[in-house]
Amino acid sequence: MLDTAKTSKVEFDYSGGERLTMNMGPQHPSAHGVFRAILTLEGETIVGVDAVIGYLHRCHEKLSETLTYAQYPSIASKTDYVAAMTSELAYVMAAEQIGKIEVPKRAQYLRVIMAELQRVASHLLWLGTWCMDMGGALGGGATVFLYCIRERELILDLFESLVGARLLYGFYQVGGTRYDIPDGWAQKCRETINLIDARIGEYESLLEDNPFFLARAQGVGVISRELAEDVGIAGPLLRGSGVNFDLRRAAPYSSYEDFTFNVPVETGGDCFARYRVRMVEFRESIAIVRQALDRLPDGAISSRPGLKSVAQIRIPKGEAYARVEGPRGEVGCYLIADGSAKPYRMKWRGASFSNLAVLPHIIPGHKIADVVAIMGSVDPVFGEVDR
Amino acid sequence: MPAWLSPLVAPFIVLNVVIGLVTYVTLLERKFAARMQSRIGPYRVGPHGLLQPIADALKLMMKEDIVPRTADRRVYNLAPIVFLVPCMLIFATIPFAPGLGVADLNIGILFFLAVSSMEIVGLFMAGWGSNNKYALLSAMRAVNQIISYDLPFIFAALVPVLLAGSLKLSEIAAAQQGLWFIFYPVIGQLAFIAFVVSTLAAENRVPFDILEAESELVAGFRVEYSGMKFALIQLGEYAHVIGSSFLGAVLFLGAWAGPGPEWLGPLWMLLKAMFLFLLITWVRWSFVRIRVDQILTLSWKVLLPFTLLLLVSTAFVVVWRAGV
Amino acid sequence: MSNPVLPSSPTAKRPHGPEGPAPLRSSPTRVVSPLSVIRAVTKALWVTFLNLFRKPVTVHYPDEERKYPDRYRGLLALVYEKDTGEEACIGCRLCEYVCPPAVIKVEMLKTEKRNYAKSFSLELYACEFCELCVQVCPTDAIVMMKSFDLATADRREMLLDKDRLHAIGLQHQQSWATGNLLRAMQGPPKMARAEEVHAKPAGSQA
Repeated sequence: MLDTAKTSKVEFDYSGGERLTMNMGPQHPSAHGVFRAILTLEGETIVGVDAVIGYLHRCHEKLSETLTYAQYPSIASKTDYVAAMTSELAYVMAAEQIGKIEVPKRAQYLRVIMAELQRVASHLLWLGTWCMDMGGALGGGATVFLYCIRERELILDLFESLVGARLLYGFYQVGGTRYDIPDGWAQKCRETINLIDARIGEYESLLEDNPFFLARAQGVGVISRELAEDVGIAGPLLRGSGVNFDLRRAAPYSSYEDFTFNVPVETGGDCFARYRVRMVEFRESIAIVRQALDRLPDGAISSRPGLKSVAQIRIPKGEAYARVEGPRGEVGCYLIADGSAKPYRMKWRGASFSNLAVLPHIIPGHKIADVVAIMGSVDPVFGEVDR
Repeated sequence: MPAWLSPLVAPFIVLNVVIGLVTYVTLLERKFAARMQSRIGPYRVGPHGLLQPIADALKLMMKEDIVPRTADRRVYNLAPIVFLVPCMLIFATIPFAPGLGVADLNIGILFFLAVSSMEIVGLFMAGWGSNNKYALLSAMRAVNQIISYDLPFIFAALVPVLLAGSLKLSEIAAAQQGLWFIFYPVIGQLAFIAFVVSTLAAENRVPFDILEAESELVAGFRVEYSGMKFALIQLGEYAHVIGSSFLGAVLFLGAWAGPGPEWLGPLWMLLKAMFLFLLITWVRWSFVRIRVDQILTLSWKVLLPFTLLLLVSTAFVVVWRAGV
Repeated sequence: MSNPVLPSSPTAKRPHGPEGPAPLRSSPTRVVSPLSVIRAVTKALWVTFLNLFRKPVTVHYPDEERKYPDRYRGLLALVYEKDTGEEACIGCRLCEYVCPPAVIKVEMLKTEKRNYAKSFSLELYACEFCELCVQVCPTDAIVMMKSFDLATADRREMLLDKDRLHAIGLQHQQSWATGNLLRAMQGPPKMARAEEVHAKPAGSQA
């Protein structure tokens, strides 16, 4: 167990240099959730990082053993609460893989639309909170934050008119989706993404050539390609370090092979490269949504009848691991079904959990101010880390 | 009026006006920032939020005064006062109109610059006395930063002194009756930009507010302060910003010069100072902050040589024009 | 350090997917020169200045309220049947079983003609607003409202009993979603009652 008495003392090493152990505690304006980093500092430079997680553990994996396949997708949202659709999709896909349940084409296209809209919304939140961390809650960062939130609210309005909820949806169910798009939704969606497309250009001009922003983001938190491949990170972190891996290309699911889109890859490996990856992903997601809306087939939205009772969905014995390319990386759900209405075991592969493993490798050598920039560009969501 | 009372009237009035102005300037900043961020700012307390600063002041006065158990009590308690007093004292030499000012010293601007650098003592006392690692880190950064930026600040402020030929602020203002120094070809604009940048840094404003960095150091040196002591520190910070805005208006924007009758002078002065304040606020809400080593690099490697060169070339220009 | 190979993964030989002629872009490091600094600073200031003149997005709640969409998931309520005016709930407890946080508790009362709910309690402070209870209800008895206004200083006021639930149902506007409509939307079209499928409201936007 962590000895808290040891975490706040000053040591003198042989060369006479002084090391300070400081807590960047679970309550911190820029900890992105509840995250405790015990930093060992020499002056302003960090020489060691000890990451402590678990402050948001809510026993999701045990909970899934007591909830049926009909009930759990609504709960799955709460792991990655910023991009709630992603986790639900992983769980539902795992159940469908075991039960060999077909998903109708319309449902697949709807899943793609929602997943990409969710990616845009999640990246908007990432950009806002990252700039806020770097610029301060009362400084220029808050301006970018509020602009991004203003745009994210538009997407949440779209979700609200589709599902009724703004943050945690319960949109998927085994066999398809629970809701179909109402009339006029497609038109509203197109208008919204056109507006967001224009606004992203505005943010880029606000940030891109800004010398202050570049000074904070370039050269900071470099993840080399070897490190990226060794440590097991995924998502924009991997693609920012030169590894061309995107699950939507490598292992396409839910009709992603029907769409044309680019996968942005940068070789810089620093915070600026990851920023560029996500900015390009904005535009690519918008392109995918446009294509999906144009070609949305008619038909049923679920291959199973509507949910009438809690134990309606029974999955035969088997196990499967379903992977989804979430905004933060690979979200995976490993499910063991035993023929009843509840899973025998479920395990989440949290994208942020694996991404955090890279922190002790890249933070030492930087200054304290860089910790927030790096944490922001890693973009962890602690619901996913602690589950 | 008794002899000992008359010299106290002007400072009393100025101090009260300044405190009133500072509280309402916080409201101005909040509404201005809110409009830039597509929101409204304080709206409910009083019509359009006009009573918000009063509500804030009352709240701060009623808060519990918490002193950390392991804090150095004397230093901790004294720090807000040591921080506040120089920030108020800078208003002593600023002329609000010809003949209207507290003390029009011969070394007006030197007094301003010297006194405003004394707030660093209060800042460091706050950081040390809090017995808090975050506060200490912030205080160390503060000493670094403010000392580094005082030099370019002084050099940028000396350019109008050279152009006017006097350290006395009212004479500098009077010398601008024809042409405001900001419009002086090239030198005026460069000096103004250098002045604004150094002011931003000397007052811990974004993009140089690394020592308050809410997202890293959670309010920095004032993290352990609450209630009235926090109010005093806030007051001091904003008073310093307003004071520098007034100074900038005197040095570069022609002080009380403006169309209309003579008695409108103080109004123009106020408007110009508010313009400068809004400029600082505009910059504050548009940029992210930079790291402390980058701030120091900017100061020592860029701003200091630049302002030094500017000062020397101003001297040449002045001599050349006097000779012509 | 070699990568451990995953046993049954389709990409076992190439742990990172297809490499090769993939578009590897490298964004060049931006060079900071005085002119670029001035241009960038002006651009940033211009963007914030422009936003000064955009209309604020604030909605002056509670003086004004924004328009909630038809499918809004708000407060829960029990409703009466439209034609007879009787309580629609038959006490079947399906909602109690499906609720993930188990906030609903129902007791059935049997009479000769039909069943009722003897007692129905819903702990709104623990409710997730997932709409699963609405989804499974066979008689469209439990529905969600287009309002969420139930802020209170005492948590006990949020333990809703049957009378409160009926009162909420009469007080606010009901959302579009009811059990039969949702099931009709989800199931394959041939299983739906024809009139329910077309019951989707036109232009149901916020």
